[in-house]
Amino acid sequence: MTFFTNIAKIMAKYWQTFLLQGIGYTLLLSVIAVAGGAFFGSLLALAKRSKLRILKALVNALVEVVRGTPVLLQLYIGVFVFPMLIPRLSSLPYIYSVSIVLVINSSAYVSEIIRSGIEAVDIGQMEAARSLGLTQRTAMLSIVLPQAVKNILPALGNEFITVVKETSLASTFFVGELMTAYLKVKGNTYLTMECLAIVGVLYFALTFILSKLLKAMERRMKARA
Amino acid sequence: MLDIKNIYKNFGDLQVLKGVSTHVDKGEVVVIIGVSGSGKSTLLRCMNLLEEPSFGEVWMEGKLMTPPDPYLHWDVIRSSKTYRRLVSEGLSDDEAIKKIKAEDLLKERHPKYEGPEYVSQMKKIYEENGIDINLGRQKMGMVFQSFNLFNNKTVKENITLAPIKIGKQRLKDAKKRGKPLDKTPDDIVNEANAKAMKLLERIGLQDKADVYPSTLSGGQRQRVAIIRALAMEPDVMLFDEPTSALDPEMVGEVLDLIRDLVKDGMTSVIVTHEMGFAKEVADRVIFMHDGVIAEEGTPDQVFNHPQNPRCREFLSKVLK
Repeated sequence: MTFFTNIAKIMAKYWQTFLLQGIGYTLLLSVIAVAGGAFFGSLLALAKRSKLRILKALVNALVEVVRGTPVLLQLYIGVFVFPMLIPRLSSLPYIYSVSIVLVINSSAYVSEIIRSGIEAVDIGQMEAARSLGLTQRTAMLSIVLPQAVKNILPALGNEFITVVKETSLASTFFVGELMTAYLKVKGNTYLTMECLAIVGVLYFALTFILSKLLKAMERRMKARA
Repeated sequence: MLDIKNIYKNFGDLQVLKGVSTHVDKGEVVVIIGVSGSGKSTLLRCMNLLEEPSFGEVWMEGKLMTPPDPYLHWDVIRSSKTYRRLVSEGLSDDEAIKKIKAEDLLKERHPKYEGPEYVSQMKKIYEENGIDINLGRQKMGMVFQSFNLFNNKTVKENITLAPIKIGKQRLKDAKKRGKPLDKTPDDIVNEANAKAMKLLERIGLQDKADVYPSTLSGGQRQRVAIIRALAMEPDVMLFDEPTSALDPEMVGEVLDLIRDLVKDGMTSVIVTHEMGFAKEVADRVIFMHDGVIAEEGTPDQVFNHPQNPRCREFLSKVLK
């Protein structure tokens, strides 16, 4: 019983740290990572389909490196390397460097999602459009991409959920998201299990709501098609 | 109308077409037959450059759609450094050209290696005859084995998409050139819609205008695919095994529509396994074998008096 009363006491005192700061920063980092990832990931996906071999090779190398190394390692490198490259960053909080790393990381994954989403559209759709005399651009924009979006959106949602959980690694640099909130409150109260339980429930609630939203969106898209 | 000159097509090490030349006249119906893998579909796809030929040229209504193939232009060969070297080594004009063609001496290096005269000759041919691929394709309708209707568009949108997009582009281009057309974008949309409904009526599917292709039967889809191509008012129609993916009971309705078009004088190239149909509609039959045209002639010549042993063997198997 003391476990639950402890949780109640912690929440009464630290709800702002968990709910406002913790969830706030976690969502902020996730949105930055996925929105930036979607933008730069699209550019990377375009580059991968380009005819320039050098560009293609560079992008592929970047994607392989990002996918082949742990996010934590990338965060360490980012937090120590970016301020060296961009001196202005060194005077700013870690969250800037952390955001940049998460965007780069997410771009790599999103570029793969977009590439495979486009490739999953039957080649015949493009051929039929081209055979009518439409340009590559028009065929891509009005036929292939709208169909690719149906493949891409669900996977992009999953990437969003993954990123929400991955932001916990940013707590290594005390940027204020949920896991940082756990570290802070645990340090003040010495109640490890209770704090873990609170953070666990909050993460679960976040991802659960997100995945339900995604399901609803998918269903609506299917209904329209 | 459509001229195919010495087309080669390689997929990696695999040679699918090994020098195919033919032409299609206005109003003519050419049927291409042959075993699977003989290159007949590839030949058809090379005609509208869905496959880019490795060598050779495709001419549509006197306009060059592919890059110029130097081997088809003696002036170009004569302007190359390789030719001049060979001649200075004592070869005659004829020998030098033959050697260059036989050993493929112009293709292995960058065009610049052959000297500025060669480059400018190639450029000149393209500037005088070349046409934008998309313009050429607008004059060729293509019908695929697997229909390839746009899944994200309704039946009517499938038909109107290209006329609207291309019509609006033409409008814009005309305005840019300072010779605006006497039309508004709305006119183009209305015209395209009216034409689409007329075409749908022709095949009796006007009530399906606003449904998505996934709700249609195979035969209906293929007939919509055919009128989608017709909506661009092409000068020639290319059919790539239009009935091969259909259930047997739906083959008839598609063949009836094609027969109709052909009767109206539509120039057509048809790749098919329907020998009875081929015999009936063809003005000329081409039998492809191993990447070349092995036999070519009227249906009577090819079906009743085939000269090529491969063609005889093929016909004896399929006409049983």
